Amino acid sequence: MKLSAYPAFTATAFTSRLAYRNQVWSGVFGELVATFAFIAVWTAAFVGRGTVDGVTLPDMVTYVLIAGPLLNWNTTRYIREVGDAIRTGDVTTFLLKPLHYPALLFFNQLGNNAFEQLTITLPVAIIVAFTVGLLPPASLAHGLLFVAYWVVSWGIMFLIATLTAMLAFWLLTAFALDWFLRGIMAVASGAIVPLWFMPAPLAAVLGYLPFAWVSYYPSAVYLGKLDLPAAGLHLAIGCVWLAALAGVLTWLWSRMRHRLIVQGG
Amino acid sequence: MSPIISASGVGKTFRQLKRQSGFGGAIRSLFSRDYSEIRAVDGVSFAIEPGEAVDYLGPNGAGKSTMIKMITGILTPSAGSLSVLGREPHANRMVNAREIGVVFGQRSQLWWDLPVRDSYDLNRHIYDIPEARFADNLAFLTAMLDMAPYLDRPVRQLSLGQRMRAEIALALLHDPKILFLDEPTIGLDVVAKDAVRRFLSEVNKQRGTTIILTTHDLVDIEEICPRLIMVDDGKLLFDGELKRLRATLGSRRRLILEFATDPGPLALATATLAADEGATKHFLLENETVSLLDVLGELGRGHGLKDVKLEEPDIEEVIRTFYQNKPKLAAAL
Repeated sequence: MKLSAYPAFTATAFTSRLAYRNQVWSGVFGELVATFAFIAVWTAAFVGRGTVDGVTLPDMVTYVLIAGPLLNWNTTRYIREVGDAIRTGDVTTFLLKPLHYPALLFFNQLGNNAFEQLTITLPVAIIVAFTVGLLPPASLAHGLLFVAYWVVSWGIMFLIATLTAMLAFWLLTAFALDWFLRGIMAVASGAIVPLWFMPAPLAAVLGYLPFAWVSYYPSAVYLGKLDLPAAGLHLAIGCVWLAALAGVLTWLWSRMRHRLIVQGG
Repeated sequence: MSPIISASGVGKTFRQLKRQSGFGGAIRSLFSRDYSEIRAVDGVSFAIEPGEAVDYLGPNGAGKSTMIKMITGILTPSAGSLSVLGREPHANRMVNAREIGVVFGQRSQLWWDLPVRDSYDLNRHIYDIPEARFADNLAFLTAMLDMAPYLDRPVRQLSLGQRMRAEIALALLHDPKILFLDEPTIGLDVVAKDAVRRFLSEVNKQRGTTIILTTHDLVDIEEICPRLIMVDDGKLLFDGELKRLRATLGSRRRLILEFATDPGPLALATATLAADEGATKHFLLENETVSLLDVLGELGRGHGLKDVKLEEPDIEEVIRTFYQNKPKLAAAL
């Protein structure tokens, strides 16, 4: 199949999600509650203080929204679906078609995620903007860089989630793996607490791991906490991580395909 | 014409981890791993010509699906050689995939939440089907399978029969040269089964699509596939027409004798007792030349015989006999 045909999967996944409108309402409600809970925590932490380590409360409100719902998207559904397909052997139905399975997953998840961003994150962002207030990017250049970071963040998140789901082939429980990943992501990506508030040794280690490119670096760049040269450098490092993870996925998939082919589903 | 599928001495051996039972066994298996070899397919050879309809038949675990997976290119044979449309299927998975259509009775390939039409549209992209050809095929399949009433309904709202017709159409949209169907009539009601069978037979005869079927439904075989390939324990048992199978096995007609009261044990030279239900006894006639009169003559009067029924052997009987007499037949065929 031609590469140009893969976006058809994005559209199909998107329209497929329209079938369950109630999920949208419960999604928006859940995300609103979680977002306002985090905002309340930061508001309490900032009582009586204008800035903490050069960070203001409006910075943190914006950070909560970008680092959380926007970038650290929920992988539960995705990991469960892919894990099940691999475990039950349904993946063979994809092998029977002229398709590259990881590419199919990528475009498919792009559609699912676009749906969630438009129907859940966007309404939540609008409500937060009109009630608590959201900051614009620190500068036009930071804003443009953020877009590039967003792409890298999405790619890394997709690769980590797919690798996790593929481990289900050997470990057989996608469910437990999903919990494991969520725990790691909550801390290491900076989705809940930014790296600048963490103890220096921990922040130093996490700052080099790929997870930080999912939430922390893009949000920090948006808020102008990294100057432009540093933002550019870290974007390059993020791209290296992206390539490395893509390499691992390609290797793991070929091993898995080989095992499926040699050992049977 | 050269065969569309040819297998010569194809074998597939799986290495399976021997799991030891209990907690101690689980710990031991962390350190030493024992494997056992399982021969799922063992030296199978056959050739299928373009346009044939073949049933690949065998009991559960006989190695049917392993063979189908090798032909479709998702498993590599561990012995022998296999060629589909002149290519090694596993080495050319993507190219091979364009030329085949696959239907699983128990595994849907349609998008559950979307209208049937959307899944078709996605397949148009996957297989690069030209617009005009796609429209023609869709119109043909919709008419033949009577799908117009539900083409725009989400798949999850369809009945099993409707869904199966939709699955078959999905597999045929890209004009595959070979269509594989894994138990396509499983769970369907009589009317739906009939519709599917008539359609498959039509596609095979009119479009010349080669059909490979795995089914336990013997009516499927009678109506769609003139040729049978039977396997068991990974080995080929029989390859030929159903008629030949019947002839080889001899048609053991079934004689049902109904008595007013149980006459007690009965032994006959011309027929063997197959089932004894007291007042009703089933006999299998020894051979073609034995007539009803011979049996009744041997039986004689005085047993209080109420009714007599003579049945031609049905295909289930033929196949049951086949598997029961496997060792004997293996030598004879």
